Amino acid sequence: MVQTILTRLATSLLVIFGASVLVYCIMYLLPGDPVLLMLDPSSATPEMIQNLRVQLGLDQPFYIQFANYFGDMLRGDFGKSMINSDPVLPKILEHFPATLALTALSSIIAITIGITLGVLSAIHRNGVIDFIARLVGLFGISMPTFWTGILLILLFSVQLGWFPAMGSDGFSSLVLPAATLGLVGAGFIVRMVRNSMLEVVNEPFIMALRAKGLSQRTIMYGHALRNALIPAVTVIGMLIGDLLAGTVVVETVFSRQGIGRIIADALMAKDLPVVQGVVFFTAIIYVVLNLLVDISYAYIDPRVRRAVRT
Amino acid sequence: MNRSISWMKYMALAAVLVLVLSGCGAAGNSNSAVQASGGEQAAGQAEGGNLTYALATSPDTLDPHRSGLAVTVRAIRTIYDNLVVQLPDGSIKPWLAKEWSVSEDGKSYTFKLREDVKFHDGTPFNAEAVKFNLDRVIDPTTKAANSLALIRPYSSSEVIDEYTIKVNLEQPSQAFLGNLSQALLGIVSPTAAKKYGDQLGKNPVGTGPYTFVKWDENADIVVAKNRDYNWAPATVENEGAPHIDTITFKIVPEEATRIGSVQSKQVLAAETVPPQNIAALKNDPNQQLLQANTVGLPYTLFFNLRKAPWDDVKVRQAVQSAVDVESIVKTLYLGNYERAWSALSPGILGYDASLEGSINPDINKANQLLDEQGWIKGADGIREKDGKKLTLHYVDGSPNREKRNDIAAIIQQQLKQVGIAVEVEITKDVATVIYQNWDYDLYGNSQVNSDPNALYAFYHTSAEGERPTLSGLSDPKIDKLLEQGAVETDSDKRVDIYNQIQQYLIEQAVILPIYVFPYTVAASKSVQGIKFDSLGYPLFNDVRIQP
Repeated sequence: MVQTILTRLATSLLVIFGASVLVYCIMYLLPGDPVLLMLDPSSATPEMIQNLRVQLGLDQPFYIQFANYFGDMLRGDFGKSMINSDPVLPKILEHFPATLALTALSSIIAITIGITLGVLSAIHRNGVIDFIARLVGLFGISMPTFWTGILLILLFSVQLGWFPAMGSDGFSSLVLPAATLGLVGAGFIVRMVRNSMLEVVNEPFIMALRAKGLSQRTIMYGHALRNALIPAVTVIGMLIGDLLAGTVVVETVFSRQGIGRIIADALMAKDLPVVQGVVFFTAIIYVVLNLLVDISYAYIDPRVRRAVRT
Repeated sequence: MNRSISWMKYMALAAVLVLVLSGCGAAGNSNSAVQASGGEQAAGQAEGGNLTYALATSPDTLDPHRSGLAVTVRAIRTIYDNLVVQLPDGSIKPWLAKEWSVSEDGKSYTFKLREDVKFHDGTPFNAEAVKFNLDRVIDPTTKAANSLALIRPYSSSEVIDEYTIKVNLEQPSQAFLGNLSQALLGIVSPTAAKKYGDQLGKNPVGTGPYTFVKWDENADIVVAKNRDYNWAPATVENEGAPHIDTITFKIVPEEATRIGSVQSKQVLAAETVPPQNIAALKNDPNQQLLQANTVGLPYTLFFNLRKAPWDDVKVRQAVQSAVDVESIVKTLYLGNYERAWSALSPGILGYDASLEGSINPDINKANQLLDEQGWIKGADGIREKDGKKLTLHYVDGSPNREKRNDIAAIIQQQLKQVGIAVEVEITKDVATVIYQNWDYDLYGNSQVNSDPNALYAFYHTSAEGERPTLSGLSDPKIDKLLEQGAVETDSDKRVDIYNQIQQYLIEQAVILPIYVFPYTVAASKSVQGIKFDSLGYPLFNDVRIQP
C-alpha cells in the first residue's frame, strides 16, 4: 500500500510539472499582448509599451522566460501579478479557504441529495419518488450554473430575504452558492447511484440474501448500496474536481472571494504569473483528490484492498 | 444490529462534518457584524452610517497613477484630491491649488497651493509633494498607465517656495489644466509612495474626504470619514468632513446579483443598472434611480479608412444612411440611453448640437450611392464589384457590455437590406485584432474625457512608424484644426474649431456615433446626496443616510 502511494506520488509530481508547462505554453502562444492589455491601447505610446515589456522581462526568448519562472517557483516564489504587483502565492493562500468551504459544502449537498435520491428512486422504481429524483437529476445536469444561481438569488434573497445575494460574510452567504453547485453535483450522483443500484439489485447474491430471509431494508442499505457505491465514488471524486472548476462561475455570480474569481480575472487580463500559480495549485489539489479516491476504493471494496496488499 | 451501529457511526460522522464546516464558515468571516443593511443602523439621524455601494468590476489598483480602469475612479475619488476641479460647464476652479497663472507662451503654469492641507498619514501637502507627484507619473519605474497620457506634455516642475510651484510643459496645451482635475492625476502622499513603492495601490494615502481602511480582493473596499477634511471642491456642497462614517464598495460583477442585492437591501446602492431593470426600479417605492451621462467620446463605430472599399466616402455614406441608429438605441435601451449624433458627447466644451437630427436613415439613398459606385446586387442579394463581394468585418471587443453585441447584430440585419454582408467578430483580444493586426472594417469604442482634445488621439494623422488611429483618418485640414484646438486659448475660437471637426467627421462619414453612456445608480430612498462630477463619476462628500 505504502509503495503504491509512493509511486502515485511520483507520477503526481510529473503531472503537476506537465500541467504547469502546458499552461505556460498555451498562455504564451495565445494571441494578445499583456502589455497592451495593461496600458490603454488608444493612448499608450510605442516607447511606453517597449519600456514596460523590458521591465516585465517579456522581451526575453520563451525558454528563458519559462526557466526563470520555473526556477523561482521551485524556490516558493510564484512571482507577482502583472496588474497590481501582488505576490501570487499569498494571494492564492488567502483566497483558497473560501473556495475550499464552497467546494466542501457543495460536495456535502451533492452527495447527500445524490445518494439519498438515487437509492430511493431505485427502491421505488417508476414511482413518484423515482420521478422526482429523475427530475432533480435532469435539472441539476442540464441547467447552466449561473442561471440556477440567479434563480436562487431571485427566490431566496430578493423575494424571501432569507439569504444574502452575494458576499463572503459567514455561513449564510455560503448557502446559496453551495446549493447552486451542489445541485449540479447531485444531478450526476442521482443518476449514477440509481443506475448502479438497479444493476446490483438484479445480481444473484441479492437473491441469495433474499432467500436467506434478510429484510428488504438490510439488503438494500447493507449490501446493495455498498456495492453500488463503488462506481459512485469514482464519479464523486471526479465531481469534486468539477465543483472546484464550477467555483469560477459561482464565485462570480455570487461575488464571493476565492481562487475561481482570481483565475477568471487573471485570464481576462492575461496575468501570466497569477494564472500559472493558480493552475499549479489546483493541479496539486486534483492529484491529491485522485489519490484519496483510490484509497477510498480500497476501503469500500475488499477486493481492491486485497489486490493492493499482495 | 451490527449494521445499524455502523449506520449510526456514519450519521455521526456526517453530523460532525457539517458542524466543522459551518464552524469554518463562521471563523472565516472576519466581519460578520457588518450586516446586510449596515447603513440602516444609523437610521434616525442624518449623520453617520455606512454606505454600501456595489461596483460592477474590481478596481485594478488604488494607486491613481497606475490605474487603467474607469471603475477605479469611483473608489479613488474618495481617497485623493486634485490640484484643480472642472465644473460641468467646463470651467476650471481651485481645489488643492488656490490660484494659478499661465505664462505668455502658454508653456508654464504657476500654482499657489492651499496651506492647510495634510495627507492622511500626516505628511504636509506642499509644493514638494506636488512636484513629487507629477514627476512620479512620468517616471518609467512607476509604470504609470492612463495618467501618463493625461499628464502629457508635462516636462518638469520647479518649487518656487513652500506653497508655490511652477509647472513646465513641452508645448502649450489647453487640455492640460482640465486633465489635472482628473482622478487619475490625484495627489498621493510622497511618504507613502516612497514607503510602499508598487504596493501603494494596496495602501493608498491621499488628502481626500475619506481615508483608506481595507481592501479584501474581489470582496470589498472600505474607506472611512476623514475628520480633518476641509478643502472640498466646488462640485459638492459640503466643504468639510463627510456626513457618513464609512463607505463599503462591494464588488459584484454579475448584474442580476448586483440589482438583486439592492432590491434585497443587502447594499444601499449599486452602479450600472441594466436598461431592462430601469423601469422596474423607477416604479419601486423604496428605490431611486440616479443617472449621469458620461462625457467624452460617445460609443462610436469607426470605419477603417485604410481598407477598401471604406476609403470611399460614398460607400461609407451608404452605410451611414442604411443604419437606423435611432431604432437601435430605442430598441436596445428602452428609451434610457440617449442617441449620439457627433464624435463628442453633449456637455463637453465644443459639442456641436447642430448635428442633432442631421443624419436620418434613407434606404433609397444608400442603394443609390452603392449603385453609383458600381456595387451591383448579385443573385444572393449581396452586392458585388469586380468579382468581390461587399462585406464588412465588424469587430467588437466586449462580451456584450451595454448590449454592444446586439448593436452589431442589428446593424448586420440593417445592412443586409442594402446588400452589404456583415461578418461580426466578437473578441476580447482587441489588442491583437485591432491594434496589432488592424484587421477590421468597423470597430466601436468610447472614451471618458473632459476635454475635446480627446479627438486628437482618434483622428490626427499618426506619426511615421506609430500605430494608426482607429479610423486611420489622415487629412491635413483636420490635423491642423486638431493642433490649433490643443493650444487655442480663446474658448469661442476653440468651440468653432471643434465644431468644424465634428461636422467634417459626420459629413465624411468617418464614424457612426451610436449612444451616450449614462452612468446609472440604483439606490435606496434613504440614501441622499450622491452627486456626479463633470465626467459622470460619483461623489460621496454630501451623502447622508436618512431614517
